[in-house]
Amino acid sequence: MTQGVGGGISFLLVTLHAIEARALTKSFGGALAVDSLDLIVESGEVVGFLGPNGAGKTTTLRLLLGLLRPSAGEATILGHPCGSSFARQHVGYVAGDVALWPQLTGRETLSLLASLHGSNDDAYRDQLIERFELDPDKRIRAYSKGNRQKVAIIAALATRADVLLLDEPTSGLDPLMERAFREAVVETQQRGQAVLLSSHMLSEVEQLCARVAMIREGRLVKVADVSELRARVDLEFEVIGEVDDLSDVPGVTSVEPLDDGVRVRVSGPPGPLLEALSRQPVRSLRTREASLEEIFLSYYDQTTSPDS
Amino acid sequence: MWRQVRLATAVMLVLMAFVVRVGLTTFDSAGGAKGMTAFMDLLRNPAMNALYGRATSLATAGAFVVWRMGMYLALGAALWAGLAATRLTRSAEDDGTWDLLVIGVTGRRPALKTAIIVVAEGGVGAGAVTFLGLMSGSQSVTGSTLFGAALAGVAWFGGAIGLLCAQLFAPRRSCSQIALVSVGLMFLLRMLADGSLANGWLRWLTPFGWLENVDSFGHRSWAWTLPLLIVPALAIAAALWIQGRRDIGGALWVHPDRSRAHVMLLASPWRFAWRERRSSLVAWAVGLAAIGVVVGYLTDALVSFSRSNPAYARLLNQWGYGSMITVKGFVAEVCVMMALAFSFLVVTLLTMVSADNLQGRLEVPFATGTGRVKWLSANLAATSLGLLVVALASAVAMWAGAEFSGSSVALSVTLKGMLNSVSVAPLIVGVAATFVVWLPRFAFTAMAALLSLCYVISMLGPILHWPTWLLDVSPFHFLHLVPSEAPNWGATTMFFLIGAALTTVASIGFARGDLGR
Repeated sequence: MTQGVGGGISFLLVTLHAIEARALTKSFGGALAVDSLDLIVESGEVVGFLGPNGAGKTTTLRLLLGLLRPSAGEATILGHPCGSSFARQHVGYVAGDVALWPQLTGRETLSLLASLHGSNDDAYRDQLIERFELDPDKRIRAYSKGNRQKVAIIAALATRADVLLLDEPTSGLDPLMERAFREAVVETQQRGQAVLLSSHMLSEVEQLCARVAMIREGRLVKVADVSELRARVDLEFEVIGEVDDLSDVPGVTSVEPLDDGVRVRVSGPPGPLLEALSRQPVRSLRTREASLEEIFLSYYDQTTSPDS
Repeated sequence: MWRQVRLATAVMLVLMAFVVRVGLTTFDSAGGAKGMTAFMDLLRNPAMNALYGRATSLATAGAFVVWRMGMYLALGAALWAGLAATRLTRSAEDDGTWDLLVIGVTGRRPALKTAIIVVAEGGVGAGAVTFLGLMSGSQSVTGSTLFGAALAGVAWFGGAIGLLCAQLFAPRRSCSQIALVSVGLMFLLRMLADGSLANGWLRWLTPFGWLENVDSFGHRSWAWTLPLLIVPALAIAAALWIQGRRDIGGALWVHPDRSRAHVMLLASPWRFAWRERRSSLVAWAVGLAAIGVVVGYLTDALVSFSRSNPAYARLLNQWGYGSMITVKGFVAEVCVMMALAFSFLVVTLLTMVSADNLQGRLEVPFATGTGRVKWLSANLAATSLGLLVVALASAVAMWAGAEFSGSSVALSVTLKGMLNSVSVAPLIVGVAATFVVWLPRFAFTAMAALLSLCYVISMLGPILHWPTWLLDVSPFHFLHLVPSEAPNWGATTMFFLIGAALTTVASIGFARGDLGR
């Protein structure tokens, strides 16, 4: 068996994807929560999982964890059905709303979860306790939400599981701890672990994930590299100088006047605009890449969705 | 707030109305007032007094119901009120929903006051149901009112204890256990007081003693309703005072927030199942052992009284308690009564699985490592073994109580009796597991209602000549009086088989179904 960053685990020439969902469907009493979802995550890959509230992100993760049973379709972890003994032993999970036994201390909780999981890197756990500045001798009920979240993160990371399913893992963490979390996720990626990261913290997803999956109303609307998504979002140029009307230039979708120039939005390749500007008295030209937030909004704002 | 306790309250009120109705029918079927004159001997027996309380007369159906069922109606109402009070206050504080009330328009004190009102109304409801039940049998208005009022007072006492415990102890599990044990101890005090003339003064210390002193269908003492009003009021005032001065979410005595890690009982689902049940098992073992000691202590008094009084022995026979004239028979009867407590213990221990599940605590274990069946099996095993330990402790306690009173009951006698009453446990485990898996939210309430109903059927059905099919509904009905009779091996086998089948089906359902909050 070989394992490489960026690819599946090969076994007898059959490539096993870290996570694979095929036509995964879940309905609750007739209401479709997840609708024919296809998704592949490879080992060594961190994939962002984005979507508005109620889009079906948590339901998908719970299906992949085997907590919910699919109404149709199937999902596997390293080739084994989700929820199977093999899958459970190779999965780490952090819930956004962590529920733990209030009477246990942090250390006891970590010890319990480690023994229930079966595999645990104790030295790494102790290192994580320090990095996340967790006081492990406090009882869970005395922890703040952020500290409970740290316990769940440390427990999941310390298993060194091949697949990590993270559902809003940093909710409640302060910015310093968010950074510690991002560093830890980068390490897991370097070790060849696969991560599916559901998050509303788009800056976090942007920093960690090369690829994102977007879900809306239970359906996957897009799985793509972040760079590819950027290309599909209007570019914005601030042109400083006295320029002619640019609204007729191919690709330009809007022109707004500024104090000393215009703001131009372009859909698709900016070549024609740049060519037009080359003949004009431009003093300065500013542009920037679309943020993931802009991409996100362009996909989810119904009126401006690229798919609508 | 009513919404949170409406189901349990409805079940309690229906059961109470049913019990009162059954009591009235029993009186008529036993020959009414005329038939009862012969039964007056029962009232002179210290052990009968310990079980049911004293009474000055059995001349009316009301007096009979109050004597035969009154104490247990009051105990049920007080336990309900204690549990409801901790649920409405401590539980809401533990899970943070109280915060919303306290910082919102409701405020700190009104939130507690609302809980007080709900519990008080529940007490009034219990009183009203008994009053109406007695009135439906055309009993004296004064007597019915007095008993209804006194019963409401005992319920308020239970509720006030719960409200006070909610200020003093956290988390909810410790808090409700302490509240329930306190109510139970009050009942035991009354048993001790009525069990021997020398301890009569203890009656002054317990609300169940005050209820007895009210004697609603005998001498009618309105004065004794005063402590039933004043003591709960003082306890509630104390609860309000403490609540105004402590942190929301905290309590006066909580386990310290920091602790050294004790990892021995965390190494597997099986060990953790024990750890989760540890404090409950200790509380139940102490509570049931205390009952065991008191009953063991009284055994000799009852048995020698019955032996010296042939007329009384005949009466016991008529009442279906004929075996009580021997030590073995008495122990057997008491052990059969303990079967109800053991069943409740099973339900308490097993519904911890549904509580963990509903709170979402099982998600990480079930998603990453432990199989659901392994978890459920560990919990089922810990529940069953825990029950066995408590039953053995009760048997030893009863034996010790008898030794303490100077009489001698062989340890093997109490052991056999207790093990006999444990024989229904496999069935209870199976039914409870089914509820835990498919109706987790209602598992405890539904099981409590079922068990109470089955127990009432098995206690009263044979005396009232209810149809066999109805009696067969209750598993308690199948318990033989071990050790004075041979165990009912056929029923024991059936309990085991049905229990095993239900448990298997529940386990499969648990493994296959969706898991969620």
